[in-house]
Amino acid sequence: MLKDITIGQYFGGESFIHRLDPRNKIIMTALLMAAVFVSSGFAGYGVIALFLIICYMISGIPFRMILKSIKPIIPIIVFTSILNLFFIKEGDILFEWRFIAITDSGVRFAFFLVARIFCLVVGASLITYTTKPMELTDGIESLFGPLKRIKFPVHEVAMMMTIALRFVPTLIEETDKIMSAQKARGASLDTGGLVKRVKALIPVLIPLFISAFRRAHDLAVAMECRCYNGGEGRTKMKKLRFGFIDIIGAFAMIMLIAGIVVLNILGVV
Amino acid sequence: MYDGQESAAVDNVTISISQGEYVAVLGRNGSGKSTLAKHFNVILLPDSGTVVVDNMTTSDDGLIFDIRRTVGMVFQNPDNQIVATVVEDDVAFAPENLGIPPSEIRERVDGALKSVGMYEFRKHAPHQLSGGQKQRVAIAGVLAMQSKCIVFDEASSMLDPKGRRELTATIKKLNQDGATVINITHFMDEAIEADRVIVMDKGRVLLDGTPRDIFADRKLLEDAGLDLPQAAALADCLRQDGLDIKSGVLTADELVEEIICLL
Repeated sequence: MLKDITIGQYFGGESFIHRLDPRNKIIMTALLMAAVFVSSGFAGYGVIALFLIICYMISGIPFRMILKSIKPIIPIIVFTSILNLFFIKEGDILFEWRFIAITDSGVRFAFFLVARIFCLVVGASLITYTTKPMELTDGIESLFGPLKRIKFPVHEVAMMMTIALRFVPTLIEETDKIMSAQKARGASLDTGGLVKRVKALIPVLIPLFISAFRRAHDLAVAMECRCYNGGEGRTKMKKLRFGFIDIIGAFAMIMLIAGIVVLNILGVV
Repeated sequence: MYDGQESAAVDNVTISISQGEYVAVLGRNGSGKSTLAKHFNVILLPDSGTVVVDNMTTSDDGLIFDIRRTVGMVFQNPDNQIVATVVEDDVAFAPENLGIPPSEIRERVDGALKSVGMYEFRKHAPHQLSGGQKQRVAIAGVLAMQSKCIVFDEASSMLDPKGRRELTATIKKLNQDGATVINITHFMDEAIEADRVIVMDKGRVLLDGTPRDIFADRKLLEDAGLDLPQAAALADCLRQDGLDIKSGVLTADELVEEIICLL
């Protein structure tokens, strides 16, 4: 059961969006977030939603993946919209019962919030669906490169992310093994209340940690043997390339933002 | 000497390994063979005495990376030496560290993967591979450094028999292609593939010679906590039962030959 967990949520493909430079994709995602927050009317969200739908169609990611990425945040969406519904007291009252009053601006704001969270999550998921985890870390390393000047360990952080990604499946497999070993000796890991279950995890976690430290030591020696000496003077086999398709992508994103701004200025609701 | 240990892990060892040699190092757990190996590429430095690799002394700080690219190492646990999430990226790790231009790294990576027969797996994630395949990826990672010498530190001990056969064949091929190979192992059947066997015990060199000489002395081997290779052990039993089998039989083929002669 643990093996079903995939690292990241990369969904393979060769589409236009898959081939974009990861750095460009990171910036575009940030811009999309900005557009979502800037938009002040439903028309703006309509445009963003249309843009996202087109992006998903181009990338060939099935629409059920959208549902999959939204599923875990449904409780948050429901909770925040209900809060907004009941606690915004401005505007005309639509419905009143004892101390509960629902106003038209409350309803408006609740829908607003749903649309906002929806666009944010669906937009952010697109980058993880279309970019390999390694490309993402390379992109982050390259984008945050200038931070090296203020002594921020950019290379080290990127290397840590790479190694973490590399060891996720290994450690999942190991957890599975330890759990089986403990079960074989009579441990009951999936019965009892919450407290009991959490306590039952301790004999799984301790061996897991010990082995993780051992692995870390082995890996450090192996990296030294292969002449690892930090980021200084290192080259990359796969260089990131900002190509023609990236210009097209960036242009599309700029058009989207311009559209949102125009809609805001015109005051279209 | 390690902290809290009474005697040195490796003591009074003088050996010289020439280029192109295939050396197996045997010895029971704690005999100092892995510690010895870690001196070959400056993971450890000797408290006294010197280690010289290709005319470079390991105590010279400025030469650390030159020595490490000359002597590559493959370790026991295949999972704990793969750094990247894609096979080809992992093989590229060492040349990237050495600051080699991207186009040359690509050539080296493809060449290294082809010579260990893992080229078609270059886009795979490490966890999709078997133990033997992971070890071959680790070897490719060393080959991409263009090391002259490759040290295998019990590299076969976590593999299944099939993986071990793959590894032994790869090691043999590398040696035939001109690499100096030092194979630290627990398996006698791997040691008989070597040109020369060094037996270590309690941090010292106990025996040093050709496999045929080393495996002739069963008594001394057993004192060092080692067995004979399977075929040699069987030949020894048959000889004790009074069959006329000449000493020095090492491989299954040789034993078959001897038995056929008797029939």
